Amino acid sequence: MIAYVIRRLLHTVLVVFAISLLIFFSIRLTGDPVTVMFSAGEPTKEAIEEVRRNLGLDQPLYVQYLIFLKGLVTFDFGESFRSHMPVMDLIMERAGATLALAIGGTIVSILIAFPVGIISAVKRGSIVDFFGRIFSLIGISFPNFWLGIMLILIFAVNLKWLPSSGFEGPQHLILPSITLGMILSGILARLVRSSMLEVMNQQYVSTAKSKGISDWAVIIKHAFRNALLPTITFLGLQFGSLLGGTVIVETIFSWPGIGRLIIDAINQRDYPVIQGGVIFLAVIMVVVNLIVDLSYSLIDPRIKTGGSGRA
Amino acid sequence: MKKKLSILFALLLSFTLVLSACSSGKSEKSSAGSSEKGKEENPVKDRGNEIVIGVTAEPQNWDPIDTFLLDWSTVATSVFEGLVDRTLDLKLQPGLAESWEYLDDNTLQFKLRKGVQFHDGEPFNADAVKFTFDRLLGPEGQKGPQYANYNSIDHVEIVDEYTVNLKLKSKDPVLLTKLAGYGAVIVPPKYVQEKGDEFFNNNPVGTGPFKMTGYKRDQEIVLEKNPNYWKKGLPKLDKVTFKVIPESSTRLAELQTGKIDIMKRVEVAQSKTVKESSFLELKDVGTPTVYSMRFDTAKKPFDNKQVRQAINYAVDKDAIIKDILSGYGKSISTYQSELSFGNNPDLKPYKYDPEKAKKLLKEAGVKEGTQIDLFIPGNDATFKEIAQAVSFYLEEVGLKLNINSVDSTTLISDLIPNGKAGHMYRQGWGGWTLDFDNTAYLMYSEGQKWNPSFKDAKVAELLAAERSTVDQKEREKIFKELTEVLYDLAPELNLYQAVDLYAVNKRVQNFQPPHEDRMRLEEVSVK
Repeated sequence: MIAYVIRRLLHTVLVVFAISLLIFFSIRLTGDPVTVMFSAGEPTKEAIEEVRRNLGLDQPLYVQYLIFLKGLVTFDFGESFRSHMPVMDLIMERAGATLALAIGGTIVSILIAFPVGIISAVKRGSIVDFFGRIFSLIGISFPNFWLGIMLILIFAVNLKWLPSSGFEGPQHLILPSITLGMILSGILARLVRSSMLEVMNQQYVSTAKSKGISDWAVIIKHAFRNALLPTITFLGLQFGSLLGGTVIVETIFSWPGIGRLIIDAINQRDYPVIQGGVIFLAVIMVVVNLIVDLSYSLIDPRIKTGGSGRA
Repeated sequence: MKKKLSILFALLLSFTLVLSACSSGKSEKSSAGSSEKGKEENPVKDRGNEIVIGVTAEPQNWDPIDTFLLDWSTVATSVFEGLVDRTLDLKLQPGLAESWEYLDDNTLQFKLRKGVQFHDGEPFNADAVKFTFDRLLGPEGQKGPQYANYNSIDHVEIVDEYTVNLKLKSKDPVLLTKLAGYGAVIVPPKYVQEKGDEFFNNNPVGTGPFKMTGYKRDQEIVLEKNPNYWKKGLPKLDKVTFKVIPESSTRLAELQTGKIDIMKRVEVAQSKTVKESSFLELKDVGTPTVYSMRFDTAKKPFDNKQVRQAINYAVDKDAIIKDILSGYGKSISTYQSELSFGNNPDLKPYKYDPEKAKKLLKEAGVKEGTQIDLFIPGNDATFKEIAQAVSFYLEEVGLKLNINSVDSTTLISDLIPNGKAGHMYRQGWGGWTLDFDNTAYLMYSEGQKWNPSFKDAKVAELLAAERSTVDQKEREKIFKELTEVLYDLAPELNLYQAVDLYAVNKRVQNFQPPHEDRMRLEEVSVK
């Protein structure tokens, strides 16, 4: 187990290193931050050179990259070109809002998808199943900007029940969470349904039924628990990417999350913020991935992370 | 089973229709509300002597020497002041200086206003002016985008506590209007030195009618009345909150539910909803920004003046303004708005005349079906429609337009400067000095980053001439000639001057929408 964790951690370092190379060089292919910064004036060549020097952009690329790598190790991604604030501070400022939305969205998706998926599977082929499947399809195919704006129109403008934007109290979390959760729940419900179907054909389910345990107890205790495995993987990865921010939902609901931070930084070619932000997300994704893998063995004792794999 | 399925699909379809009806039904409902006046109640109650304004973005940094963003000026105009100020109709007027005069070509003397205090209690005087310009022109300022705008100033000389001389390196005919610009607003020396630049970025202090008392990045900015403001009896409001709401539909929802009182950047498509509400008012204002499709004159066939003129004749600009912009735009004859010093009102935009366009193209030897590449920013849905309309008009005269949507930052900072933006590209520009000088230099002077290819000896001569004198009558004459030359050379297909739309709750009194995003709120009150 420990060897496995160490191996995975080394793997993580490799992934983060590869991403650092990719992000560092790719953003430098798409335009110059100093030109963006000066877009309103008529700077002299000397002024442009001066700014380059001040931002460290006059250094050879490999030197700039080494500085960035050094920062990566010490969690110091430098200062934003635009706000002159430390990049880590900018990210941490938004971490709370991003986490709140990711949790909210995940909870909503679970609340919707689990019952829909389970009932669909249990009542397979019935009209309930049909509606469940249609619901999943709608969830998957609804564009979230449309859903977000619809929810605002219905619940904020017409019914006046909920606020339409901002990050102030728990009531502000409801509409963005529903928007995010609805979209996720479509895929999740399908996943729950198919894993339930697979599990319900297993012999131990029939055995449990034949022992005379009530139907729902069999479904929840025996079938659902075993169907959880692929669901957890999906939820874990999804949660990781939600922590990366959901630009569209954040924009619609004026949610101060990490997604908006990175998009704004990309538009301004604010290299330190883009680099810091992307690396931060990469680390989160890799760590979440690891946690998901490790949690397998808790849910399914047959899976050993030591080496022999699935029993 | 099949029958069952088709019934279910029908049900689903009707569900979707009901949902979408909910959305469009909303505007119909509000329209009904306005015809039965008084039925719609103003949702803003008990807000007191304060207003909330919904804006699209915030600059992330309030230091005036670090910014050029309109979003900065929307808020910071209430916090900072310069020696020179502009009225709402953009006329220059005394700000923190009571008067000024040129002692000689290179010395501009200012008499400062007495009894003015910064929000932290520091006095405003000649030291503050000197500190401000030393900072702007020194190492700290050189890190930012404003420095280059003011480098005609050599240094500031203190004559006495309330008199300063700006010593100039060279004549600068647009210096006064630049002093009303962002970079030259006066900052408090003690505060900046003691607290440091990073603190100042987030906690700005000026002499303006409001002081910033709260700032949550990307969320809101709170301004409170400056009780010691030098204009007696102003400001009238106790508090102004700016909420950052990037999505326009959400801003409108906030306005309709009374969470905000003023909405910046109303989209043309939303204007109807605003007009139909009984408690909202739509205000439109012409801006200095003009939109054109500029030609890369190094590329064939656009190296030929006749072809460029032909395209100007081929496109019906008035129809575009009327149909796509719902009339919220004004036609232009050169690449500047009517608000710009140097605009020539005698020039009339090229008339829509496809026959003449065809004739010119034929004379220039342009074959039918010639392909033209147009580059536009992908984030501007309205302009995409305009590009499609232009494509239609060009097809009428036998040209085939390929529209390329690209990332707007890449377009501005990479493709245009390097001549990689096709034969034509969209460019929007306002000219922050409100003087044609800025736009004309950036677009037509050789070696400028946004001028990959245009050159003309006469234009270069006139540009040098207008910069060599501070006599504004003389400059006006030069600009008249310059605009005539440019009109004939047609370096761009000039489309329109942008009109900004604001929506305002009727409880707000005396709000005049600004031409250039700089909201002036000291006279604003509520009923």
